Amino acid sequence: MTCKTLWGKYLLGAAMSGALTLTGLTASAEVTVLGWPGGPEETALRAAAEAYNAKSDVADDNKVDLLFFSRDGFFDKLAADLAAGTDAFDVNLIATYSIGRYAPFMEPIDLGADATDVFGEAVLSTMQFEGQQYGVPTDLSLHFMYYRDDLIAELLSDDAAKARYAEIAQEYLGTALEPKAPDDWTWEDWAATALYFTEAVNPDSPTRYGTVLQMKNLLFNMMIFQSLPRAYGADWMDADGNITVDSDAYRTGLEMYRMLLDAGATPRDSLSYEYAEANAAFGSGRVATMVQWNAAAGDLMNAETNPVVADVTKTVAPPSGPEGRFTHVHGLGLGINKAAPNKAGAEAFLQWLATPEAMQAYATAGGAPGLSGAALDAVADARPDLVPLGSYASQYGYVMNGATSGSALTVYELQAKAFTGYWGDVQSLDEALSEAETGMADLLK
Amino acid sequence: MIETPTRENRILAAPVVIFLLAMLGFPAVLDLIYSVSTVSFENLRAPELSGFGNYRAVLADDEFWSAVSFSTRFGLLTAALETALGLFLAVFLAPLIQKRFWLMAVLMMPMIIAPSLMGLMYRLVLHEFVGPLPYYLYEWFRLSPSFLSPKSAFTTLVVIETLQWTPFTLLLFYTAYTAIPGDIREAAQVDGTRGWRLFTHIELPMLLPTLVVAFGIRFIDGFRVFDNIYVLIGSGAGGSSTSLSIYIYTAFFKAADIGKALAASVLLFAVAFGALWLVGRLLKRRAKT
Repeated sequence: MTCKTLWGKYLLGAAMSGALTLTGLTASAEVTVLGWPGGPEETALRAAAEAYNAKSDVADDNKVDLLFFSRDGFFDKLAADLAAGTDAFDVNLIATYSIGRYAPFMEPIDLGADATDVFGEAVLSTMQFEGQQYGVPTDLSLHFMYYRDDLIAELLSDDAAKARYAEIAQEYLGTALEPKAPDDWTWEDWAATALYFTEAVNPDSPTRYGTVLQMKNLLFNMMIFQSLPRAYGADWMDADGNITVDSDAYRTGLEMYRMLLDAGATPRDSLSYEYAEANAAFGSGRVATMVQWNAAAGDLMNAETNPVVADVTKTVAPPSGPEGRFTHVHGLGLGINKAAPNKAGAEAFLQWLATPEAMQAYATAGGAPGLSGAALDAVADARPDLVPLGSYASQYGYVMNGATSGSALTVYELQAKAFTGYWGDVQSLDEALSEAETGMADLLK
Repeated sequence: MIETPTRENRILAAPVVIFLLAMLGFPAVLDLIYSVSTVSFENLRAPELSGFGNYRAVLADDEFWSAVSFSTRFGLLTAALETALGLFLAVFLAPLIQKRFWLMAVLMMPMIIAPSLMGLMYRLVLHEFVGPLPYYLYEWFRLSPSFLSPKSAFTTLVVIETLQWTPFTLLLFYTAYTAIPGDIREAAQVDGTRGWRLFTHIELPMLLPTLVVAFGIRFIDGFRVFDNIYVLIGSGAGGSSTSLSIYIYTAFFKAADIGKALAASVLLFAVAFGALWLVGRLLKRRAKT
């Protein structure tokens, strides 16, 4: 066999295989959905897509095909793809803090009036930018105050402990506070409780630390921190677009964190702690309280993974402040690519995804949507952890003014550097706030 | 006199040169273009040329100089420690390793671990609630030292880097030490030179080229440190553990300031190239003399 013959056979084979692949694609991948890979979100999306494709009224050319790639650099790759006008997918993932970055390359979507009943206004707003809906909010993240119920019950029933508590509060916070139930805590009550359960402050404390703070120079830690200043009225910008980070509210929050670190109420290495370290600390049984993502609840309350604390751990919404009670909330969702080859099919799929039927399939397969009303009732037995999620989001959820802009992630990065610099004694509070304000003015202009 | 077959050399070297131009030259040219452009992830295909503003921004950025200072201190200190320790261990353990060479395999183990995994490992080892070191320090001495606070992180990172890479210098020094001809030692001993004097006057001068190479390689590696630090503590509280590589990474991926990140990388390349050229010149001059 000559070389020429071999090449001819090879080329013919390649052409045939290419043609078959293309035929296969056109037959099955009519609405291509780029999802969030490798977690419960992927499993849930697969289940929802399967349910959608099984519907008799979905035409063959509107069936959903899923596409996943690595999480590493996901949002940057997505930004580059969208900006290049890719038609490789019709529907793509979006996150609250990056909607502004993608909005110019996406289509707004009308989810219909019923979507408000399914998700509630606050949850829907996590997928909005400049007043328009850009996606279906499929997964919600917010914060819980985790606490040791056994320790708090003991404190509330012991008069001597209450007196010691008041002494500590007077010494560190300037007011002789009385212990309260966690659902009634202000941030000051929480700080006093954390100090009371700290061995360095109260040698009789049953735990070594009153809390564990996530103070690593990491943008997600800023999301956790900001519910505190928010309760004192903090925001990124005012209505005129002026940066308002150098405020009493931010000062109060930053100083409270620093005071707890200096007093030894959180481990000294907290400046290198993030999600996993904080969970390990709380799970050890040597920490009394912790503000943490809702995602940790399943693990911390599981007797197999956290036998020391599982049975005595409870959660409430984060404490309140003079301006109210707040929890940072952000969501992952799915929206339509502006260059989508099948926009009508994509819209039909997303509108279906915003129905109770779809959300039930999504939630029971492991997703974490923020639901309300009948949609929530339908999954409450199978997913009891979703019950507070929806209600906390609608009651206490907030998004800082500017936190859905194209620069939101960079703002969080900037704040993480500046604020951890203050907590780590690398710079003063004034310098940290000035650095944050100058940078934010540049990023959010 | 043998004539250099220049034409043949060029032909034989051509594939390598083409490969290098494609694999390194193209990204280098792209870096140069981006470094003088206003560019983001959204306009990667159509950057707008904007002059040397990115270079001015980098040179005027205190964080850049802080990162340069961190990398230089880290590179010099770890290179010095690894070189000194490697030399000591090579000389001290040489008789033992010569008899039981499998020991070398054991000693090499830290070097085999990927730096990012090393960072992850120490993230666990040093964690107060799951790590063995804090556990025993507290159990035995009631101590809970902060290994990764801004004040102690640099020392911790230097120790981790030194523990991982001393085996590399040990290997170099052991090879060089055992390569010293036995008759030279015998001649020195016949003349009455023994112990410390034998080492400082005979062996150490012969190990000097290895010492320079080991220090140089370790300095370059320490200067460009990224993985283990980033996995362990990121860029640190207030950016206090930002090496030059982390500065470039942060500017590129976190701040999406691609032009600035690439301007910093071009400056790093220029300085590294200048240093290498200088060393090359010195070595050439020394070879001539």
